[in-house]
Amino acid sequence: MTPQETLQADPELSALEARVLDEVAAMLREVIGEEYVANMEITMDTSFAEDLELESIEFVTLSAQMRDRYGESVDFVGFLAELDVDRVIAMRVGDVVRFIAASLAEAGQAH
Amino acid sequence: MADVIANGVRLHVQRLTPRGGPRPGAPVVVMIHGMVMDNLASVFFLANGLADAGCDVICYDLRGHGRSERTPSGYGMANAMADLTGLLDGLGVTGPVHLVGNSFGATLALAYGCAYPERVASLGLIEGPFLLSGLGEEMSRSIQATREAVSDDEVREWLEHSAARGVARMAKAALSLMEQTTIAEDIRATPSFRAERLAALGRPVLAVYGGNSEIVDQGRELARLVPDTTLVVLEHHTHSVLREAAEYLRDLLRWWMVLRDTEPEVPVYHRLPGRHFETADWVRERRPPDDILAQNAARRARLAAEARAAEAGGSPPVAEPAGAVSGASGPL
Repeated sequence: MTPQETLQADPELSALEARVLDEVAAMLREVIGEEYVANMEITMDTSFAEDLELESIEFVTLSAQMRDRYGESVDFVGFLAELDVDRVIAMRVGDVVRFIAASLAEAGQAH
Repeated sequence: MADVIANGVRLHVQRLTPRGGPRPGAPVVVMIHGMVMDNLASVFFLANGLADAGCDVICYDLRGHGRSERTPSGYGMANAMADLTGLLDGLGVTGPVHLVGNSFGATLALAYGCAYPERVASLGLIEGPFLLSGLGEEMSRSIQATREAVSDDEVREWLEHSAARGVARMAKAALSLMEQTTIAEDIRATPSFRAERLAALGRPVLAVYGGNSEIVDQGRELARLVPDTTLVVLEHHTHSVLREAAEYLRDLLRWWMVLRDTEPEVPVYHRLPGRHFETADWVRERRPPDDILAQNAARRARLAAEARAAEAGGSPPVAEPAGAVSGASGPL
């Protein structure tokens, strides 16, 4: 799957991507719950490790919130199945957002 | 369903299932992390791999760890087992489960299997401290070493101002757990295993140790005493094998849970070039904490001198306390 290419080619999906980014950013601010992140601009390029300094247990909480929010349309278990903690923490917010947006588009929930 | 009240304590739980839910009769796996400087995040990523392979996987934070309730006391083995029973009851899990534990979590899994074999289908033990005598003292020494390492003034200073937020939060949580609860005394009271109980276990056991781990001999002894044990020793790896060889452990546990009946051969470990891990001498030799601190101080002094010599304004000592901290959590 190359969601990035698909999304960039399709303006409607970019809107979906932007919506998911807003949702994920809000979840991140809630999970981290500290002042430094309240005013930080969270973009697709924001990294979990360097920019957000996310703790691994916080990623666990975030992924639980994402599972609750997006349900069966997004296969987080499958997404994380081949990754280990170091690779997950090295990801950027956009990696997760693009995966969610592509899954939602595939499941026909874009609207 | 992130929280379950078990044995009167609120435990943070993450239950992971394959897309569309587990099939009837799917293996139920409970994953247990290590002690003090650890939480369920360390087993969470393996858990996703197992759920994706069809298992119904339950991860939880031990009391006092991660997002679970921190009680002032009750950290001994008997309570840890009661917490686990309460968790299974609270989740309505009545059939036998596959327990997978890392470090202290493996010790707990084995103790649980000996005490309640009817609730256990198999045991996956990763680097579990295992002794027929002096087990509590052994585990308590490593807690003490961790405590001394993170109590050091300079390390505290580093955690406060320079450490990455994730490391700092984990270390501070560990420090307050050790300072504000009875965990150290409770762990010291851990009973050793009894050979006759182990001989009668009657459940298949997968035991994984690092060839360079300071407790690999305990794994060999375990394999000798527990019938039906598959021992996998990964050369070039240490007590931190869960993190060092994450990909292989995921394949190994998938094999153990879902493929073993049809493919009897243990998956072969292909070590990637450059993947070589060694246990620090002070962990292996279990030297007193004073020595750890003296070593750290000497290293810091050397690095500071080097930095001065190079007239570099960077922060070379930053990596040092991290090494001390994770190493000190060693034998648990």
